[in-house]
Amino acid sequence: MKKFTACLWSVGFVINLVFVQNSHAFIFGDSLVEKYDWNGVEVIWVKDDRFPTYHISVYFADGALSDGKRRSGETSFMFGLLDSGTNRYTQKQIIDGLEYYGASYGASVTHEYTTYHISGLIRDIDPTVRMVCQLFKDATFPKNEFKKYKRRYLASFKQMVNDHSALANRAFRKISLDGSPFDKPVEGLRGHVRKISRKDLKKKLSYFNNKVKKRIYLIGPKKVLDIENIIKNDCNWTEGADFHREVNYKMAVKKKPPIYLVTVPEAQKVEIRIGRFLKDNEIGRPALREFSSSYLGGGFTSKLMEELRKKHGLVYSVHAFAAEQKSYGRAAVSTSTKRKETVRVIELVKSILSDAGGGKISDKDFNRSKSHLIGRYPFRFEKSASYLNHLIFLDHIGKDYDEIHKFGKKIGNISSKGLAVDINDIFGWEKQVIVVLGHKSAAKILKKIGKVKIVDYRKFL
Amino acid sequence: MFNCYISILSLLVLLLVSCSSGDRQANVQSGQKYESDSTLEINLDVKKYVLPNGLRVLIYENNKLPIYSYYTFYDVGGRYEGKGLVGATHYLEHMMFKGAKKYGPGEFDKIIEGSGGSNNAYTSFDSTVYHENLPVGSIDKIIDLEADRMVNLLVEPASFERERKVILDERLRRYDTNPRQKIFLTMMEAVFGGTPYGRSVIGTVDEINGITRERMLEYFKIHYAPNNAVVVIAGDVDADKTMKLIRKSYDQIPASKNLNSIKEGLDDNKRYTFRKKLGYSKDIYGVNPLPMFMLAFRGMPLGSRKGFVMDILSSIMGDGQSSHLHQLFVLGKRPMLTNISAGNYTLKKNGVFYISGQLLGGVNKNTFRKKLLRELYKVCNSDKAINKRSVQKTKNQYLIQYFSEIQSNNGMAHFLGLRENFFGDYNYYKEELSIYNSIDEHEVKKTCKEVFKPGSHVFLSIWNKNAN
Repeated sequence: MKKFTACLWSVGFVINLVFVQNSHAFIFGDSLVEKYDWNGVEVIWVKDDRFPTYHISVYFADGALSDGKRRSGETSFMFGLLDSGTNRYTQKQIIDGLEYYGASYGASVTHEYTTYHISGLIRDIDPTVRMVCQLFKDATFPKNEFKKYKRRYLASFKQMVNDHSALANRAFRKISLDGSPFDKPVEGLRGHVRKISRKDLKKKLSYFNNKVKKRIYLIGPKKVLDIENIIKNDCNWTEGADFHREVNYKMAVKKKPPIYLVTVPEAQKVEIRIGRFLKDNEIGRPALREFSSSYLGGGFTSKLMEELRKKHGLVYSVHAFAAEQKSYGRAAVSTSTKRKETVRVIELVKSILSDAGGGKISDKDFNRSKSHLIGRYPFRFEKSASYLNHLIFLDHIGKDYDEIHKFGKKIGNISSKGLAVDINDIFGWEKQVIVVLGHKSAAKILKKIGKVKIVDYRKFL
Repeated sequence: MFNCYISILSLLVLLLVSCSSGDRQANVQSGQKYESDSTLEINLDVKKYVLPNGLRVLIYENNKLPIYSYYTFYDVGGRYEGKGLVGATHYLEHMMFKGAKKYGPGEFDKIIEGSGGSNNAYTSFDSTVYHENLPVGSIDKIIDLEADRMVNLLVEPASFERERKVILDERLRRYDTNPRQKIFLTMMEAVFGGTPYGRSVIGTVDEINGITRERMLEYFKIHYAPNNAVVVIAGDVDADKTMKLIRKSYDQIPASKNLNSIKEGLDDNKRYTFRKKLGYSKDIYGVNPLPMFMLAFRGMPLGSRKGFVMDILSSIMGDGQSSHLHQLFVLGKRPMLTNISAGNYTLKKNGVFYISGQLLGGVNKNTFRKKLLRELYKVCNSDKAINKRSVQKTKNQYLIQYFSEIQSNNGMAHFLGLRENFFGDYNYYKEELSIYNSIDEHEVKKTCKEVFKPGSHVFLSIWNKNAN
C-alpha cells in the first residue's frame, strides 16, 4: 500500500494550476469584465459566448434590514408578490408570458442586500426584461392575489415543523444572533407577516425603486447589452438613488450561554447546531475563516467528518461554516444524530474544536485541507449565475474582483499555527451557543452536560 | 434522481422556439410564431472508446478552465437486488469509499481531497454513479484509484459495520422523519408493489440490518466490472494521453463473465409488469399539520414515445406557476393548495406519472380529490390546457434546462453518461430532440386520455390527523 503522503499533490502545485491566469480571464478563459454607466446605474458585463443564454442580476443595496424591528418579512413578501399584476397585465398573463420564454426570475433577499435575477435564451431577452421592468414600474399587488399569497405565506410557517433541519437553522439564528439586527429570518416572523398590507408593499417597492442604490450585472453574449434602453426607460428606477445600508449596532456577548433545547413533537432524531455570531470587528478575513471551517467540516476528510461519521458512525452528515457579510458573520457546526447519541456527539465536537484550536493539527491534515480548499475553489464559478453572485458579493463588501485571483495565495500563506489561532478565536468552546432541536425527552440527556433552557419550536415561527 | 431525469431527457438541441421578432412591446400574448434558429444548434464533440474488456469511455475536451470532472456509471441499481440484498446497492456505494487493495483503507477520499478535488456518488433504482471534480494534473492518479476500486474493493468487516450505522442514520434523516419522502415511498409501493420498483433504494431498517458482507461481495463481483461501466471525463484533458492512462489501469481488469446471462433474467420485462390494482385512496400518518397528497397513474419506461409525450403532459399540468393545475388550484379564484406539481418518473423498465401538492388549511381533502380527478378527466378533451402554445412553452423550457445542464464539466459528464448508460449512445439526445419536436398538442391530448382514465389512479394523503 502506498502511503498517503506519496500520493498527495503538493499544495504549491495545486495553487499554481488553479491560479495562474489573470483575474479577468479567471473563469471564462477569454471573458472580459466591462463596466458601463446607464443613467447613473453602474453596469457590469461579463462576456460569455459559450451558450445562447444570458443571466442578469440587479443588485439593490438594501435588504431585510429595511423591514425594521416589527415588520420582518416585508421585503421578501414584496418581491415574492411582484409578479401578481400590474395595471396592464393580470398575474396569469405575466407568469405565462415569462414562462413561455422559459425565463427564470425572482428575488433573493439577504439582511444587507437584495438581488433580482432574470435568465433565459438571449433571443428572448427583450420581451422578458421589458416585462420584468413593467413589474417594477407598475406592480399593483392586486387585492385578491395579495390575500391568496398571504394565506400561502402564512401556511408555510405552519408546515415548518416538517423540516427539522430548516427549523433548527431558524432557531439557531434567533438564539445565536439575539440582540443584533440580524436575529430575524429574512422571510419574517409569523406575527409580523400577518400585519403586512398592500399599502406596505407599494411603499416598499417605491423605496427600492426610488431610494436604494442599484447595480446591474450581466453575463452572456454582447447582445445582452441591448437591454440598455429598456433599463433606462421602462424600469422606473430613479436616477441618483444612492441609499445603501450601513449597520451600526452594539451587542452584549453572553459569557456562558446555556444549552437550548428547541422542542418539536414526535422527533426521532435531534438536530444540533453549535456556533456563534461574529461581530463586525471579527470579520474581514474571509479566506482564513473559510480555511478554519473547511478544516473542521468542509469535506469527507475534514476532522468532524472523520471522527463523527467515519470513525464512530454517529452521523450521516456534519459540516462547519464561518461566513461573513459586510457587517456581521456567523460560524457554526451543523449535524444531526439519534437522540441517545446527542451528548456523545456534542462532546466529540467539543474535543475536536479544542484539539484544533489548541494546535493539534498534523501536517498531513493541514496540507490536505489546504489543497482541497484551493482546488475546489474554481468549481464555484463554472456556472454563470454563481460567478455573477460572487462578483456581486465582492462589490457589496467593497473588495476588488482580484480577490478571486488572490484566494489561492492567501490560503497558501496561512500557517498551521495561524489556522489553529483562528479556529480557537472562532470556535473556542466557551464562546459557542449550543442549540439542539428534538423531542422534549432529550432534555434529560442534555442535562448531563449543562444547564438546559427548553423552548417550544413555535416561539421561532 | 427521479426528478432530474425528467428534465434531462426533456432536452432539445435544434428546437423550434418562439421569437420576439420585431415586437418591441412586452406583449404577453406574443410568441405564437415558430421559427428555427441555428444559434441553438449544439454539437457535442465527444470521443468514444471501447476497451476489449467492454469498458466504454467518453471524453469531452474543454480547456476553458484547468479543471475536469470524472464520472463512472455502473449499470446496477436497486432493482437488481434479490432477497436479503434490498438496500445493498446503496450500501455498496458507501463501501466503495472505504478502500481497495492498492491504495488501502481510508485513502480514497484523502487522495481526492489532497489533490484539490471533491467527490460523491448516488444510487438509483437503475444505476450507481460516482463522480469527482478535480484540478488538472491529477488524472493519472484518479484513473488508477477508480480502476483499483472497480476490481479490488476490500469491504473490511469493521468498516462494513460502522457504515451500516451511518446508513441507518441516513435512512432516519432522509426518509423516516420526512413526510414528502414517506408519501413518495408509499406511492412507489402502491404503484409498483410486487415488482423491484415497489421498494426503497436505501432499504428498510430490517433490510439494511440483514445485509451481509459476503452477499455484498458476491454482488460486487458480478456487477462491478468494465463491461458494466461507462467512464466519462469532461474538462481540461487530452483525449489521447488520457486514453493511454485508462488502458494502462483498466485493460487488465477482466470482464464479468456471467453478467449478461444474470442481467437477462433480472431485466426480464415480466418482473416489472404492474401487479397492483389501482383505483383507491389511502391515508397515512405523518407529522405535517397540513395534508399533502400524491395522485399516481401508471407510467411508461424510459425511451418509449409515450413516455416522452407524458413528459410534456406533466409539464403542462404542473411545471411552473403558469401550468394548468397551479393556475387552477393555487392561483385560481378559490385556491385549495399551497403548491402543486406533476412529474413523469420514467424508470428503465417502467414508470409512474404523479401529481403532488399540499392543501391549504381548512380545505377538505376528499372534496379536493374529487375536484382534481374531475378536472383531469375533462382536461384532455378541451384546448384550455393542452394547446399549441402550452406545448411550445414546454419545449422552450426544456431547452433552457438543457443549456443549464451542460454549463459545467460536471453537468456535461453526467448528461453524456446518463445517455450512454441507459441507451448505449451518448448521442441519444438527438433522438430525444427528434421525438419531442414531433409531438404536437393532438398527441398530448390522446395520451392524456389514456393516462387519466377513471379508476386508474391511487390517491394518497399524509397528515398528522390521519390514523397512526
